[in-house]
Amino acid sequence: MFSKHWMLIAPARCGAEMMELLWLIPAFPLAGFLALAVTGARMPKRLAAIIGTGSVGASAVVALFIGMHFISSPPQGHLSSQTLWTWIEIGEFRPSITFYLDPLSLVMTFVVTFVGFLIHLYSTEFMAEEEGYSRFFAYMNLFVCSMLILVLADNLLLLYLGWEGVGLCSYLLIGFWYKDHANGRAAMKAFIVTRVGDTSMAIGFILLYFNLGTLNIQEIMQRASQAWPVGSTFAVAAAALLLGGALGKSAQLPLQTWLPDAMAGPTPVSALIHAATMVTAGVYLIARTNVLFTLAPVVQEAVAVIGALTLLIAGFSALTQHDIKRVLAYSTISQIGYMFLALGVGAWSAALFHFMTHAFFKALLFLGAGAVILALDYEHNMFRMGGLRKELPLTFWTFLIGSASLSALPLVTAGFYSKDLILWYSLSSEDGSPWFWAAGMAGALLTSIYTFRMVFLIFFGAAKGRVSRKPGMTMKFPLLILAVLSIIGGFVELPRIPIFSEFVKTALPSAKTLHEGLLGEGMQQVIASGVSLIGVSIAYLLFLRAPLNVERFTSHPAGKALHRFWFSGWGFDWLYNKVFVGPFIWIARTNKDDFIDLIYGGMAWYGRFFHVALSLTQSGKVRWYAMGITIGAVITIGITVFL
Amino acid sequence: MTLNDLAPLIPLMVIAVSSVIIMLGIAFYRSRAFSGLLTLAGIAVAFITLFGVQGTRQVTSLLILDDYALFYIGLILAASFVVALLSSDYLEGRRENIEEFYILLLLSTLGSSVLAASTHFVSFFIGLEILSVSLYALIAYTRNELNIEAGVKYLVLAAASSAFLLFGIALLYGETGTMEFSRMSSGISAQGINKGMLLTGFALVLTGVGFKLAVAPFHMWTPDVYEGAPAPVTAFVATVSKGGVFALLLRYFIQVDMHAYPSLFGAVAFIAVASMFAGNLLALLQKNIKRILAYSSIAHLGYLLVAFLAGGVMRVTAVTFYLVAYFITTLGAFGVVTMLSGKERDADAVEDYQGLFRHRPWLALIFSAMLFSLAGIPLTAGFIGKFYIVAAGAGSALWLLVIMLVINSAIGLYYYLRIIVVLYAQPGHSEVSAVSSLPLTGSLVLVLLTVLLLWLGVYPEPLIEMIHRMTMRF
Amino acid sequence: MLAEGIFIYLAAAITILSVLVITRKNPVHSVITMLVLFFHIAALYVTLNAEFLAAVQVIVYAGAILVLFLFVILLLNLKEEAVARRYVGPWPLGLMAAVGLFLAIIVSLDSFVAGPKGAFTTEVIKAETNTKALGKILFTEYLYPFEVVSIVLLVAIIGAIVLAKKRLRS
Repeated sequence: MFSKHWMLIAPARCGAEMMELLWLIPAFPLAGFLALAVTGARMPKRLAAIIGTGSVGASAVVALFIGMHFISSPPQGHLSSQTLWTWIEIGEFRPSITFYLDPLSLVMTFVVTFVGFLIHLYSTEFMAEEEGYSRFFAYMNLFVCSMLILVLADNLLLLYLGWEGVGLCSYLLIGFWYKDHANGRAAMKAFIVTRVGDTSMAIGFILLYFNLGTLNIQEIMQRASQAWPVGSTFAVAAAALLLGGALGKSAQLPLQTWLPDAMAGPTPVSALIHAATMVTAGVYLIARTNVLFTLAPVVQEAVAVIGALTLLIAGFSALTQHDIKRVLAYSTISQIGYMFLALGVGAWSAALFHFMTHAFFKALLFLGAGAVILALDYEHNMFRMGGLRKELPLTFWTFLIGSASLSALPLVTAGFYSKDLILWYSLSSEDGSPWFWAAGMAGALLTSIYTFRMVFLIFFGAAKGRVSRKPGMTMKFPLLILAVLSIIGGFVELPRIPIFSEFVKTALPSAKTLHEGLLGEGMQQVIASGVSLIGVSIAYLLFLRAPLNVERFTSHPAGKALHRFWFSGWGFDWLYNKVFVGPFIWIARTNKDDFIDLIYGGMAWYGRFFHVALSLTQSGKVRWYAMGITIGAVITIGITVFL
Repeated sequence: MTLNDLAPLIPLMVIAVSSVIIMLGIAFYRSRAFSGLLTLAGIAVAFITLFGVQGTRQVTSLLILDDYALFYIGLILAASFVVALLSSDYLEGRRENIEEFYILLLLSTLGSSVLAASTHFVSFFIGLEILSVSLYALIAYTRNELNIEAGVKYLVLAAASSAFLLFGIALLYGETGTMEFSRMSSGISAQGINKGMLLTGFALVLTGVGFKLAVAPFHMWTPDVYEGAPAPVTAFVATVSKGGVFALLLRYFIQVDMHAYPSLFGAVAFIAVASMFAGNLLALLQKNIKRILAYSSIAHLGYLLVAFLAGGVMRVTAVTFYLVAYFITTLGAFGVVTMLSGKERDADAVEDYQGLFRHRPWLALIFSAMLFSLAGIPLTAGFIGKFYIVAAGAGSALWLLVIMLVINSAIGLYYYLRIIVVLYAQPGHSEVSAVSSLPLTGSLVLVLLTVLLLWLGVYPEPLIEMIHRMTMRF
Repeated sequence: MLAEGIFIYLAAAITILSVLVITRKNPVHSVITMLVLFFHIAALYVTLNAEFLAAVQVIVYAGAILVLFLFVILLLNLKEEAVARRYVGPWPLGLMAAVGLFLAIIVSLDSFVAGPKGAFTTEVIKAETNTKALGKILFTEYLYPFEVVSIVLLVAIIGAIVLAKKRLRS
């Protein structure tokens, strides 16, 4: 008995049994959620922390074993799936609860469980004094479970379940401190804006189902490439509708406005949901359905353009923020812009690679920011920080590593390798163009400027705030691990030694490079390195050496206007308020008693009328009831005999 | 008829014998626990012996023990088991002698089981009478004013409806010369099917059965009886008695091939639509939980008839799954009412439930789950059931009925949600919340039902498989 | 011709008597009317060659049950109830329902064709005598129902005791 049990765990010896454990990965967090949700506030904090963190840890361990097994002895065709059961079965409509594992979902699963585990661990200390401790962990576990369902889903319905699940958790966690109305409003905004995308995606799913007659994603891809020629209307429509969903979830232009406001949630939430995992669901969706996008070159082009524009716009906005978390939020939008750019030029694996490294260093930066915020009694404004280098040495060093990785400082950081790959493909790929490359380079410059602006403002200069508490072990440990990953995470894909893209190539086709001659890969790396170093220097000059220059610029009317424009995220919120929200509210208000309302009102009125009328028949008198039976018999005979 | 014929009847005989044992037991030693345990044991043994019946066994021309009958008898037995568990604590302190309750419960279960296995009008009628006569006494059992009123009403009206039924049977017998379901269709085809007399016979049988099923326009007794009967008995009336009758109706109309009579089809469709609307509209602003559940059961039987009208294999699947879901949900909902009822009166006013979540979060959650299932919200058995009904209806292109069903589901949502809102509102002033502690058995039963409800909602496959296997041989 | 005449008389009498049973104010009158009614039904059985049923009808219903009714009514002394105003508000509606049912059945009646006859035709029964024929079928084909009917009686007895007696402690 014992030996058999051991067989299941030992990765070296077991065969296909390992893959049978796939269902455990989402099941652990689900169990954690149920346990926490059922007991509620009665559960002691310590136990809640153990359950919440342990469940994600357990699924990380399972993911690790499965991953090792997957790499050491890859299953047939580099994919395996596990069907748990069929939910409903009506003819062709046969949604099953099936998990599908291929390199793409394996990478996603790995990141979600590991980064998720580290963030949970960090939260046990970060949230220690909060009300609703177990509620927090319940939501977080539910989130991890939904995210895992999303990435492991084998069919559209299950994927949609995960997709809506993460959306729900995002809503709940942004509004975690619900007593402050602003947080509730931010949660609402995030929910509604992403819903615009979700609706588009749902329509896309329905379109795929009705035209291709299956819910299974792999079958859809197969049938689509057979049924639809490149550029056909259906392919374009389906890809565009899915893109809509991806834009909403991944906060890309024009649906990016919700993410900065989503920072209202607790910092670990921002790290997990709004940086490392959920916001990259759009990237996952496009990568998963890459066949569709290849069939619709127009849409794929649009993906690249949107990515390029988003990364620039968000970069400029990040430059002007005071709030440390908003800088990181804009930075996230910008980095996902890079991923979209990669997807748009057909560099699928580069996008996934950047997703992975970004998850490491952005989670690290958020967690570091959280440590700083907690140390300064919930101070978010960077201009009231400074000189924390001495007080919080570990936080400083890890934050610095994260920043270096984000700015793609050459050779030693993970971000360098992933971003470099994207820049290279944006130029050299079949679908690439010098414009994309230029946008990417400009974005890289912006990235290193705003990143080091942040570093210099927080950790250098004169100390402005008083450090009230220092991070303990459970907060330091995740920072350290993530810092290590932010460095070594890039070494899995070196130029000429593409381990990562080799690994994922069964799931994601490799990019087609064309313009090999225009600019060598080595040359482009040198330029990219130069750009990021220049960015750091500019940041040093402007924000540490001579901050007066910046103040002089921003006090100038033109500078002031520009600052305000960038600060407000290019006025998108203002625009949407004017164009959509205002008119919508106006229409809703003036149109309160319109025709449609009359229908509903009429239904209610008729309902009540017939209720009253029918109630009169319930007189409680036996003779009356007997007569009812007789009349019923007469009617029944009437219909059967005379009809 | 040989001894061999008796073997498949063992499940039915076990129930009958255990009721006699209890009766004799009472003569010597009166004990609630003793009678209760004997009842549970009797039902359990009967349930186990169901598995001993091999293959399809026709016992004389009256009864058939095929997979279909066994499945429904199993369902009926399970429901009686739950009712027996719920009623033991409920009856305590409500009247002096509660041992006879179990005898009546067992015998009415027997009646209902006989219905599920009937293939002949004689066994049908006798089963119905055993069921009804025990119900008269069960409904009036605790002998307060409401009870007795409900019991007498049920007695008078059931007798009247039986008269219709008998008249119908007589007409059909006169026309076809047989009372066997299977031979009836050949008798009919010899005569030609467009016989006014024959159709009148069908219509009158439908009237009698319709009364038992409480479908409109034969539904008026339902709320009064549901309100007046003790809560566990109401659960029994709503599940066991209707389940047996519905099983019979389905078998009967499949065997005489109802689809050959368009006008009969029309009559059932009329009854279905009328039931859906009458049930849902009457429940709309109702303030008494037991009455709401009564109206809701009228509507649910209407939904069931939609599936009943659909043809093909889907029909039996949809009807059976829906009935199972309906059983679980109804038992659960009345279980909650039973648990909360004080000795003075049942907890049947909606205000009694105001803020239940604050005092008894578990009970409120269970009740919500049951209501969600009644409303057909996903992840509950009720949703899957409704889904199958809609699929069956759409599969047979009964668009009008399906549309009616959807409209009615929307209306139904209103009053289910109304109760749920009340459950989570600020607590009001009600003596019901003061019920000191909940009985353990009842709580366990409710938890079990809820688990089953959700289990079937996410993992219906085993049950569907089972129903498929059963219909294969049907 | 004579048989038809008798049938019409009996049918009319049964109908009128039934109406009288439910409209008499005095319960004793109702019961007496019912007694007469039962005799007419028994007569109807005789015309249908069902002498055994006719005898049972007279012995059980008229002889036993109605006498029991009379006893109960006399013992209860129902003076007050006898004069209380009855609920007869919507009787026109009731009449319409009854007439409707009657018409529906009358209209469909002309299509009646008797089904195939079973083994026990009138001739067979006459040859074998009523009681023997009934016994034969009751103890062969319908043995189960015959046994099971005892359960109906059992239920009725238990039900009556349970409802009537306050304390059942022995």
